[in-house]
Amino acid sequence: MNRLILIIASRWSRLVLVLFLVLSLQTTVFADLRPFGIAAQVVLLFVVCAGVSFGVSVGAVVGLIAGLMYDFVLTTPIGLGSLALGLTGATAGLLIYFYPNPTWWMQVVAVAAVSALGEIYFPLAQSMVGLDGWLQFRLLKVIAIVVVVNVVLAPGVLFISRWTLSERKNPI
Amino acid sequence: MANALATRKRTIILLALTSIILITLDLQNSSVVSGLRSLFGTVFHPIESVARVVTRPIGNTWHGIADYNNVIDENALLKQRIAQQEGATIAAAASVRLSQELLALNGLPTLAGINTVTAQVIGDSPSNFSQTIEINQGSKSGIRVGMPVLNAAGLIGKITKTFADRSVVMLITDPDFALSVKVVNSPQKVTTTTIARVNPATTSPVIPVDPITSVPDAATTTTTTTTTTIAGFTPSVTTLPSTPTGVSSITIPFASELAVRETGVIEGRGPSRQPTVRFIDNSLRFGEIEAGAPIVTAGGSRSLAPPDILIGKVSRVIERLGSAGPVLEIELVADLSNLSFLRVLLYQPITEKTTP
Repeated sequence: MNRLILIIASRWSRLVLVLFLVLSLQTTVFADLRPFGIAAQVVLLFVVCAGVSFGVSVGAVVGLIAGLMYDFVLTTPIGLGSLALGLTGATAGLLIYFYPNPTWWMQVVAVAAVSALGEIYFPLAQSMVGLDGWLQFRLLKVIAIVVVVNVVLAPGVLFISRWTLSERKNPI
Repeated sequence: MANALATRKRTIILLALTSIILITLDLQNSSVVSGLRSLFGTVFHPIESVARVVTRPIGNTWHGIADYNNVIDENALLKQRIAQQEGATIAAAASVRLSQELLALNGLPTLAGINTVTAQVIGDSPSNFSQTIEINQGSKSGIRVGMPVLNAAGLIGKITKTFADRSVVMLITDPDFALSVKVVNSPQKVTTTTIARVNPATTSPVIPVDPITSVPDAATTTTTTTTTTIAGFTPSVTTLPSTPTGVSSITIPFASELAVRETGVIEGRGPSRQPTVRFIDNSLRFGEIEAGAPIVTAGGSRSLAPPDILIGKVSRVIERLGSAGPVLEIELVADLSNLSFLRVLLYQPITEKTTP
């Protein structure tokens, strides 16, 4: 029983619940509001923020879980988004690896750079399984808009990702 | 600390391997993966519905600010178009009815005989790398994967995933979309000369005629008709029975004047590029394809769509060297950026139908 409570109270359970909310925002409001025809990627932003705040390992795990959940609502093969976002989370975590105490502007720059990389990983992963046709000049526009939106939303999402993934005192 | 790191590394490896296995299974259309997706959809749908309701004011505010001027302009344009189309619609409806009657009379399949489900678009693709939309009708309404989806203008895509009360539609512009189509190559401008005995009192209209030069004679009338062809329609001049002697005169067009059809495959190329039609036979009979030639679905026992659904028209012909046929760029008749109400044709090819 105690073990069950520990699992429910763990940050990973909290992560799944928060990811459900983030995913619901992604499939509704962020799929609808499309500045210049491009959908903002809040799931990607959450993964990047987790990586930037907690390092490579946590970033990769969050990316793999978030990607898996994202895959279930997309029409692309399940597992593709998981790998792409897992790699994105790990890439974001490199900031902590090189700068254990990054300043706020380093985090913002990292969010921008890794968001751009994350938007490249996904069509690359699609190409690897034969779903090509997405690596075109439009990708530059996608990257530009996703980066700008992610930088704007980064402070709020950084706060949420830290709250979600922070270790709490043992409830038992 | 080292133990926790090792556990986390194991977790990453496990998750990565799981992803790879899932990709492999999904690409082979595993029922386990479909079941998982369906289960996730069932769990996630209520959360998504609540989020949709809660965030609707945000979306409305955004569209109110960002799209207000566009809506005003579009409204004015649409009013103008409605006025233009009202007259044409009546004539077109009569033609369509006549065409359906003729097809039915000859035992040929028509769209009129296929049941449809009207659906509303409830969401766009959350990803920038798939061209899909979500509609509010699903398997409960009889919708199955592969069924064609239309709006008022023409074909817009096909069903790729179904849930109990919603479905995902892959748009024509998605690079994964492919469908066999027909290119209706318009014949050249033809001049038909019909000589018929006509009683001036009961002259029947000749359609289409532009312009008519009629020189009345006491007994014989020579009518020279310059027919400006309408893309996709076979030009024919039909004089209805009118002679007092009971002799009817029906001009049947020569085979060379009939519109020639060739099949190819339409493929999407993403939202910023027009779809293309490939595998067009470079035959002499087909002749040169001109911009403006209509593209319709080919149909057939294996095609996911019935024949003769309008898709678009040729906007550019890209010639290729050697025996390879041309590649056609297609301007779609449907505006995929502004979809609201759609029709799903409950059509399944004979090869897909399961016998009870």
